Amino acid sequence: MVSESAERHTVLFDEHRALGGRMVPFGGFAMPVQYESILKEHDAVRERAGLFDLSHMAQYFFTGTGVAAWLDGLTVNNVETMKPLQARYNIFTNERGGAHDDIIVYRLDQTRWMVVVNAGNAPKMLEYLTARVPAGVEFVSKHGPNANIALQGPLSASLLAPHADVDPATLKYYTCVECKVDGTPAVVARTGYTGEDGFEIFVDGAAAVRIWRLLLDGGRAQGVAPCGLGARDLLRLEAGMPLYGHELTEEITPVQAGLGWAVKFGKQAFVGKEPLQRQAQADQFARVVGIKSVGGPPLREGYLVQHDGLPVGEIRSGAPSPTVGANIGTALVAKSASAPGTPVSVEIRSRAYPAEVVALPFYKRGTPK
Amino acid sequence: MAQPQGLLYSKEHEWANVDGGVATVGITEYAQNSLGDIVFVELPKVGAKVEQGANVGVVESVKAVSDLFTPIGGEVVEVNGTLEDDPGLVNREPFAGGWMFKVKVADLEPQRANLLNAAAYEQFVAESEH
Repeated sequence: MVSESAERHTVLFDEHRALGGRMVPFGGFAMPVQYESILKEHDAVRERAGLFDLSHMAQYFFTGTGVAAWLDGLTVNNVETMKPLQARYNIFTNERGGAHDDIIVYRLDQTRWMVVVNAGNAPKMLEYLTARVPAGVEFVSKHGPNANIALQGPLSASLLAPHADVDPATLKYYTCVECKVDGTPAVVARTGYTGEDGFEIFVDGAAAVRIWRLLLDGGRAQGVAPCGLGARDLLRLEAGMPLYGHELTEEITPVQAGLGWAVKFGKQAFVGKEPLQRQAQADQFARVVGIKSVGGPPLREGYLVQHDGLPVGEIRSGAPSPTVGANIGTALVAKSASAPGTPVSVEIRSRAYPAEVVALPFYKRGTPK
Repeated sequence: MAQPQGLLYSKEHEWANVDGGVATVGITEYAQNSLGDIVFVELPKVGAKVEQGANVGVVESVKAVSDLFTPIGGEVVEVNGTLEDDPGLVNREPFAGGWMFKVKVADLEPQRANLLNAAAYEQFVAESEH
């Protein structure tokens, strides 16, 4: 077997192994891609609840009165306007308007903030932010010492409730609270990346194994399953959420990725604002769309997309979707081929398979099955 | 992991059951388990002449595309059409309902040397796991 020694381990590594997790390298960590079955894990989250170890993602803590103004200059979405205990999706951009990383910003109180960055981008972002942190702002990375356990699915609130000293059901979507989980101080946020209701529990790594077991063992009777990266990727794709490196890169801008809603041109200045504004106004850019095909092979990253016999783009993510009952994916395509309903073909192993451009997301919570 | 007796195995984790000059071919329990949920199978065409070890199709799981090789050379005489609608059958019954195609064997004896019996395959799998 491939050696895992080059990869970092999260504090839950031994739990994953004991549960039969198939460990793969991801973002510098050895992470479970699946336990028993990606499809079963997917279903558990859509129908009941699933438990994810997201401790590979970096938790950065910033303290100071100048945090919001500083982050506002580096990101596309509003930071200053966030209220305490609010969470917000955001993107660090480069000078060309491309994305360094997509993140979630949590405002813990007037002066304390948490930013969660992707594991694969963490080394880059640590260097980037360390070089720019202004005087008066304290920056502490808890990448490694802290764990993030995500409980996702319709049963999440009721499964977490017995173990938290705050009723999770009282949290609004995209808010957080500092509370105790099984007696240990934690940040609990009603966030996630699956398209379902759910919570992320940010907690000291020393308590992670205990809380992981508590939620898993406590939820077994209700059908809670440990879930790996395979299920997570499938769930986020169905929910139309971008994955850095696929729909969003240093080259693919938030505007192209369909994340224009998160780009606040009303902000005074931020890195990449002018090129993004020019791109949005000209409106000629290649853009990320949903692609659906029925019957043929699953869509995969890199496959060529054609329209009227001409290449118009390529698949960026793809998977067979149990929820949709078809092959789904995203593609970066020319504007001329981007309208929902546009017939396209996807080249797979030298054969053209018919497919269609569709609106994202593929799945919205509450979609009848 | 005990392997069904009487079958021939390849180091690519395919099995062949030769009976009356026709070999039924599939992938092993080890292979299906390694792949995970199988969601698409592309099989050779009936009538195709295939050489032992040739790439004759594709098995796709949720996350990966894997080539399918034939452990036996000859002429493809039948494919398992059920797998088009129910590729997960390969996961559930790799040695039974999940069979993939049948080959009319041209000349079995020289091909045997490249294949393993159940005991040898079992040992091969055990070694692959370390």
